[in-house]
Amino acid sequence: MAPAAGDQPILSVRGLTRSFGDQVIVRDLDLQVNAGERVALRGPNGSGKTTILRCITGALLPTAGEVRVGGHEAGSQAASRALGASLSQDRSFYLRLTGHENLLFFAQLRHGSRAGALAQVRALVEELEIEDIVVKRLDSCSTGMLQQVGFARALLGAPQLFVLDEPTRSLDQGAKGRLWAALERRPETAVVIATHLPDDVEHCGRHVDLRS
Amino acid sequence: MSTFALSLPRPGAAMALTRRDIQVYLSYRFMMTLDLWIGVLDVIVYYFISETFEGATTASLGNAPSYFAFALVGIAVTVVIEATSVGVGSKIREEQLTGTLEALVAQPIKTTEMAVGLCGLPFAISTLRVAIYILLGAIAFGLDLSNTDWAGFVVMLVLISTAMSAIGIATAAVVLAIQRGQTVAGLAIFAMTLISGAFFPVSVLPDWLEAIGNLMPTKFAFDGFRSALFEGSGWEDDALMLLAFSVTAVPLAIWLFDRAMLLARRWGRLAQY
Repeated sequence: MAPAAGDQPILSVRGLTRSFGDQVIVRDLDLQVNAGERVALRGPNGSGKTTILRCITGALLPTAGEVRVGGHEAGSQAASRALGASLSQDRSFYLRLTGHENLLFFAQLRHGSRAGALAQVRALVEELEIEDIVVKRLDSCSTGMLQQVGFARALLGAPQLFVLDEPTRSLDQGAKGRLWAALERRPETAVVIATHLPDDVEHCGRHVDLRS
Repeated sequence: MSTFALSLPRPGAAMALTRRDIQVYLSYRFMMTLDLWIGVLDVIVYYFISETFEGATTASLGNAPSYFAFALVGIAVTVVIEATSVGVGSKIREEQLTGTLEALVAQPIKTTEMAVGLCGLPFAISTLRVAIYILLGAIAFGLDLSNTDWAGFVVMLVLISTAMSAIGIATAAVVLAIQRGQTVAGLAIFAMTLISGAFFPVSVLPDWLEAIGNLMPTKFAFDGFRSALFEGSGWEDDALMLLAFSVTAVPLAIWLFDRAMLLARRWGRLAQY
């Protein structure tokens, strides 16, 4: 795999431990991911896959250890700019707005300019073939449809690292194909996914097994 | 450990948050209409109270020409105060409960942008409601606006919103940290408005309560707004006091919000389904 500029991994996780109360969910995890590399986190329910992803996005702080994205502390503005995430997609949208309004909102947080955000949303909608989905209010969409909009959101701003939680869980074959094709078109972007599905693991060059 | 640096928000990001909130607000058309009508009903109720006791008050109404004029400003300014203070805390709680806060935090957005952006909708909606109530008072109930200093009116409106948004952002910080706080903040704001001259002059209060009322930032809001609306002058000192409060309290509130965000990430409380 091609290393990131300056041999710096795009994702560096060192000694990550995350507890909730007395319960240790992730213990002393080390993980380095280089540009273009795809890593699958595998493990049963409760093994800490989503917790690791949340620590990478900065939504959770590590109890111990550190997570850096593009050399920046996870959760910092610079780290968030380098990262595109799709986690718990059925709960992370403004459901009374359309898919297009949601995407435009998140795009504008990255771009600042509305015109730039609009152009990028149009391009992504066309690339992922979700024109019919984004015109609907999201409270009328199925889980699979929401997942496709969630994936589109992760692609906004051309990030260097994608963090995807069970990205194909509710997708039909066509949508799965479009998702992997979109990732193939971004060979320099690193991908970390949490998954139970052997098909998803096959698309990744490396996997990390987690125990409950 | 992340450090806090207060920086100016990118206008595009703050505007995006405000636009999103307006879109969501407009999707609740019934609630939107209800909000407006509750205020209109308040105006009507206070008009008839004023008519009932016309000329009977012995308390000084300051610069308001009648009790109705006095109370109308109380209603209008309270709308701004409640929207920009309690409304912001409620919005953060809603984001926590729906799970959108976590998605928001994963974006490259500054705490300042989030705090300022969250205040946009309350400011826009409450300004609109104030305009409607004042207009209603003038057209339907004979409110005299011939002396109004419209520049002072606008300056006071902006300063009241800015000053009170400090309380709103601080409330949002408390909500982030302990998942509750809007109710307590609502009570505190209600008490503040009550003792600082929203619906009756502070001079009718017991001395000790009047002294407290005179120190409240809301007192400068009511007095200054009435001066701009009914006298056309004399609002400048109140405006300066609100400006001083804003300059001190807004950065402090944003710092609190930033620390609360850090705590929520540490405790895993950004999302509380």
